[in-house]
Amino acid sequence: MSVVDYTQELSVVEGKPALRSLDDIISKPLETRPDKKFYIALSITLSMLGLFVIGLGLTFWYGIGMWGNNNPVGWAFDIVNFVFWVGIGHAGTLISAILFLFRQKWRTGIARFAEGMTIFAVMTALLFPLIHVGRPWLDGWLMPYPNQHGLWVNFTSPLLWDVFAVSTYFMVSLIFWYVGLIPDFATLRERTSTKIKKVIYSTFSLGWRFSNRHWQHYEMVYLILAGFATPLVLSVHTIVSFDFAVSILPGWHTTIFPPYFVAGAVFSGFAMVQNVLIFVRRIFNYEHIITLDTLEKMNKIMLVTGSMVGYAYAMEFFIAWYSGVQPEQFTFLNRAFGPYAWAYWIMVTCNVITPQLFWFKKIRRSIPVMFIVAVFVNVGMWFERFVIVVTSLSRDYLPSSWAYYKPTYVDAMILIGSFGFFFTWILLFTKALPVVSIAEVKAVVDDAQPTHKDH
Amino acid sequence: MNENRNSKELKKEYWKSLKDYNNDPDLLKIKANEFLEGVTEDFDESKLSGLSRRRFIALLTASTAFAATACTDYRDKGEIIPYNKRPEEIKPGKANYYASTCNGCAQSCGILVKTREGRPIKIDGNPEHPINNGKICSKGQASILNLYDPERLKEPLISGRKSGWENIDKDVITLLDNARKNNKEIAIVTSKVISPTVKKLLDDFKTKYSSTKIYSIELVGDKLRSEAWFESYGSYNYPAIKFDQANIILSLDSDFLGNEGNFIENMQKYSSKRDVVDKVNFNRLYVAEGRMSATGMMADYRISISPDRQYQFVMMLIKEVLKSGSSINLSNDIINRINSTNTDLKIDRSKVNLLLKDLIANKGKSIVYAGDTLSKDVQVAVNFLNEILGITALYDYSSVFKTFIPYAKNEEIIKLIDSMNNGNVDVVIHLDTNPVFILPGDMGYEAALKKVSGAISLTESENETSAVCKFVLPVNNQLESWGDSNIRAGVYSLQQPVIAPIFNTRQKESVLLTWISGDPSVYKDDLYHKYLINSFNTGIYSAIKNSADEKTFWYSALHDGFITFNEENKIANFNFNSLTNQSNFIETNGYTLHLTEGYFVGDGRFANNGWLQEVPHPVSKVSWDNYASISPLLAKELNVDMDDVIELSANGKTFNVPVVVQPGVAEKTINIELGYGRTVVGDVGKGVGFNPISLMSKNLSSSPFVISNITVKKTGDKHKLVSTQEHHSLDDTFVKDFHRIRKIIQEGTVEGYKKDPHFLHHEKHDIFGITREHKYTGVKWAMSIDLNKCTSCTACVTSCNVENNIPVVGKDQVERGREMQWMRIDRYYSGTPDDPIVSNQPMLCQHCDNAPCENVCPVNATNHSPDGLNQMAYNRCVGTRYCSNNCPYKVRRYNFFDFRDHFADEYYQNNLTALVNNPEVTVRSRGVMEKCTFCIQRIMEARSDAITEGRELKGSDVVTACQQACPTNAIVFGDMNDPESKISKMRDHNLAYHVLEELNIKPNVTYIAKLRNTHPEGN
Repeated sequence: MSVVDYTQELSVVEGKPALRSLDDIISKPLETRPDKKFYIALSITLSMLGLFVIGLGLTFWYGIGMWGNNNPVGWAFDIVNFVFWVGIGHAGTLISAILFLFRQKWRTGIARFAEGMTIFAVMTALLFPLIHVGRPWLDGWLMPYPNQHGLWVNFTSPLLWDVFAVSTYFMVSLIFWYVGLIPDFATLRERTSTKIKKVIYSTFSLGWRFSNRHWQHYEMVYLILAGFATPLVLSVHTIVSFDFAVSILPGWHTTIFPPYFVAGAVFSGFAMVQNVLIFVRRIFNYEHIITLDTLEKMNKIMLVTGSMVGYAYAMEFFIAWYSGVQPEQFTFLNRAFGPYAWAYWIMVTCNVITPQLFWFKKIRRSIPVMFIVAVFVNVGMWFERFVIVVTSLSRDYLPSSWAYYKPTYVDAMILIGSFGFFFTWILLFTKALPVVSIAEVKAVVDDAQPTHKDH
Repeated sequence: MNENRNSKELKKEYWKSLKDYNNDPDLLKIKANEFLEGVTEDFDESKLSGLSRRRFIALLTASTAFAATACTDYRDKGEIIPYNKRPEEIKPGKANYYASTCNGCAQSCGILVKTREGRPIKIDGNPEHPINNGKICSKGQASILNLYDPERLKEPLISGRKSGWENIDKDVITLLDNARKNNKEIAIVTSKVISPTVKKLLDDFKTKYSSTKIYSIELVGDKLRSEAWFESYGSYNYPAIKFDQANIILSLDSDFLGNEGNFIENMQKYSSKRDVVDKVNFNRLYVAEGRMSATGMMADYRISISPDRQYQFVMMLIKEVLKSGSSINLSNDIINRINSTNTDLKIDRSKVNLLLKDLIANKGKSIVYAGDTLSKDVQVAVNFLNEILGITALYDYSSVFKTFIPYAKNEEIIKLIDSMNNGNVDVVIHLDTNPVFILPGDMGYEAALKKVSGAISLTESENETSAVCKFVLPVNNQLESWGDSNIRAGVYSLQQPVIAPIFNTRQKESVLLTWISGDPSVYKDDLYHKYLINSFNTGIYSAIKNSADEKTFWYSALHDGFITFNEENKIANFNFNSLTNQSNFIETNGYTLHLTEGYFVGDGRFANNGWLQEVPHPVSKVSWDNYASISPLLAKELNVDMDDVIELSANGKTFNVPVVVQPGVAEKTINIELGYGRTVVGDVGKGVGFNPISLMSKNLSSSPFVISNITVKKTGDKHKLVSTQEHHSLDDTFVKDFHRIRKIIQEGTVEGYKKDPHFLHHEKHDIFGITREHKYTGVKWAMSIDLNKCTSCTACVTSCNVENNIPVVGKDQVERGREMQWMRIDRYYSGTPDDPIVSNQPMLCQHCDNAPCENVCPVNATNHSPDGLNQMAYNRCVGTRYCSNNCPYKVRRYNFFDFRDHFADEYYQNNLTALVNNPEVTVRSRGVMEKCTFCIQRIMEARSDAITEGRELKGSDVVTACQQACPTNAIVFGDMNDPESKISKMRDHNLAYHVLEELNIKPNVTYIAKLRNTHPEGN
């Protein structure tokens, strides 16, 4: 056994479990009552959600002035959080769509969960454009609709593109997710004994009978949807980056933004998925389904995207210098050495230096270390958006209008609350839907597919 | 057809024509249609909305039902009373203007009050007034808010309890009678008397109550100047200066362009020699000062010198000028005095040499001007210096500053306080003055006043003095009052009320008249009005012997707001001995505290005016506070920075105050502005700033405002100062000179410009866009701002505030960087911290042709008008703030709160203060972006006038609020498509440039580069 056979595909699911046992283990959380730990976790996330509600209440009652935003810094935590959460929402569809198209079988164990996180992260993100406006009761005006004034939205505004990009992404992700869930709903329908659940599962399984024709159609739809979702993965953060790149503000007005933002989004999305999955596989005993190999592969992606982000940071500096434009040059020097240098160096440490640890196999395969590294990445990616949004705004063209931005307690409440919102959904998800795709996992168990090997 | 039949059957009773009568078929066809053919041609059904009538009615009913049921909780908006009997001369929607006189300070500028539907909404300068020529300062502009101050006194009070006027009149008359009978003193304490009628009234009062004494006091005022003039020339009436004819101006700690004398007039005269449009014939401004004043910012050469060295400095100049040769024979005493003064000042000789060279070369064309706060000996020495420089031609004797009642001497006030303490004073009447606040603390005025049984305060709102007075009588605001002024020889100004008293207040002169009569029932609203007419007729009317009859003349004067006439003024001879009459100069070596008047709160009387508290300081940009401005060197020595509190001790008293490290302040000088730290004041002024008057002393050797030998130490405390511009250390190489590097400020020298008029544009390269340029035909609005003329007086900022209903946001919001002023004046330093060069730049929306704010708004709330305006549709704005982020000038202002109810617990959210709002400008609510509109309401009014008059709209029809207020006419506005207009000339000027031109956003505000009139290099 000392010789490794590199032609042999690694098992995606370890230990060749019986297919029936997969059904059992994946649907177990749905068939048992939540335990105490679940309630403790839920009470924490609900408390955080409570902060969110209070923070929003204060904002709606008194105005945006409850936040720290000021005159040069029109956007701060609001848009930082928005971009952060959209970024988090990138891993899911990437895993389920792009990796599907590339026939990466290891994705099956994590795809469902990652997709779920995408949905919830985009839901969280979508809140921010709605609440960051001064008169949130007029949010409807951001949507184009025919009206008696003949007034239309401004199609040249990147904010409007954002509305389209993110909502399209949300819709497609949701449909994609749901289509993937249909065979599982059918499985659950077969297993459940309670009447209410039966009605619900029956409704959502759309009369799925596991017939060959169903599978053929299903596979085709899934493939088409994957093909449809793939460009969206790239486009949504590209368009989010246009919010900045299309402006004339030094530090925002940068052509590198679209690829840089996409890489960063995948980077942070994987970090978040990895963080959460470490708990999930442990709590639900999915170690053989979401294997260490899978986690290692995710870490490799983080290493790649982290390095891309690091390259982008360096390139921004180079281009600023190369452009010969003084305000541009100053903006980047100011990031590294100005009043917000602390944020910049947190960002660089977390996003560029820490992921480099993943060059070492030991670290890639050590769960506690990889967890910490991914937490750092998440922190770093939040600060990346902070650096881009706030430092650029706080010192732009005219030194007379420069000002330092300081967040308020309401800003903190809304930031913490957004995590509460997100994790509340995650918790409910783990008890309401199969967090691993039952149908797909079965298909990638060793020897589940017919082979020519032994014939 | 049916109708046709009917009409045939019915006998036609009325017919329009024979055809009609005969039921002509053609006519019937026409009548079948409601409209004649062709009338409805423009009516295209397909262009209408698809809403059917039924559907429309259904929606209408539904929404009415919703409105009726859902919105029942609307706030009661009060009664609305229609003009069913329209008052004469009031046209709803049209403003009326009344000429009057400003009472904000003793300069009595002519004003034009704009009223709408009977309520005053704006104060501007009276364009025909010979002194201020249609311009008025920030204080005057904002004083309209005082009329609507919710904390004005509304009822007369006795010992803090509401009372009636009759009661009070009766009590006071008894008091006055008793005082006269017992020969106890009746003291009238008044601010500087500027009115001949008030002078007459006070004389009448004295005649009736013989034991009356009158004390005229001001916090700063021109006391030292007029007293020095008296010693030099034997008269208190000193002449104005013809700054417009001076080639060389040396200002000694004087802020003649900032807040001294009639600075509006000074600015106009000064800037007339800063004109670049036709011929560049600049004056040269030298400023020798300890602090950094608004005037100091304008200096071509600035010499930092402590105010207690000014005497030596002037003596040195005298010495040097005499050395160069003088035709005047001086006595030995004088020469001894000059020679015995130590003039070794250890200051930069290079600038002094240039100054001397200029002064001597421009004899008769140069003026030396000392500040109001400098001691009498400096003032006299300056008079002396001007005499030997042959300055007399620049003294404007046709326009002297008159004195009706000389200021009370220090000894007189001390004596009054003594008498008050001894019980020899029965009645003290305060005529709209606040001696408890403005007199030096160690005089003990407050304690003495408490011992007076008849302490009376006639005031608009509670103050430190009224708080210890038994009788507090609310008086009319200046806009509710009659009055006159003859502060400048040859100019008689009239003040008229533009609104009936809002509260149960009376004109203070009428109150005195009632007391003179000795009978409370004599009072009538027009008591003083009649007295004034009488005094006008017997005084000025009979003096100038006009051919018109009394009444006509009065009304025409009232209409104009002023009368000019020839008033004889002797040109007095200089008493050279006044120089030696001064007490011997004592040299000091320690730290010097220099107290000067605040730019916006005056002597504290505007402390409760939110607009004025929020206007940033012209130099430091600090608002809502005063502070000690100290030199960077002293800051290093004490190890303090902005916000650190230092302790000053002088005359055995200590005083804590936060510091601002101010480049350019002389090493050992500390400057604090007066008028702050009011204790008995409305909610706006409460806790704003620090009152250094406590450090002033009654034992004043020379000037009460220059306190020598003080000690300074750091306390370790902090007090947050807020400013609208970040403070960077000038040493900070990281951000040094950005305004020059980024070409925000472009400057040159007069010499350089004469040699090469195109110097500004040598480095210019073509910028091209990739999109099609929009062509503007017709009027296209543009503005230019001449940086040579801007003195950063901020009159434009305040005028804009008033015109455009800009809310007051309060200190906490300014700290967060959320001030709402649409216009700001940016200040940049270059040079060294000890000798900085200051550049100022008014910054407002640039109305860019390629406006970056417009394309990013998701809802099209900001867009471009066909006449080149960058518009803002408040109703459409959802408040994403994207436009502000993308504005490179950061001139957009966001309503982070509903600032009208956010400030000071809804201070300005009341029915009274709401009356100050300009009805033509939307009051913005929270969550909405706003910015300069180029006064769109004025453009629309001009356009509608043009349409009414059936002519084309011209660029010159519109005057923006900032342009109207700018004392130096630095702001030009108009139609850039009109080649004859001033604005197109300014845009084509060699010195014209746009800020951030290279962004190709095509701003429509042009700046005219500043030229500094320095000597050519190497000379």
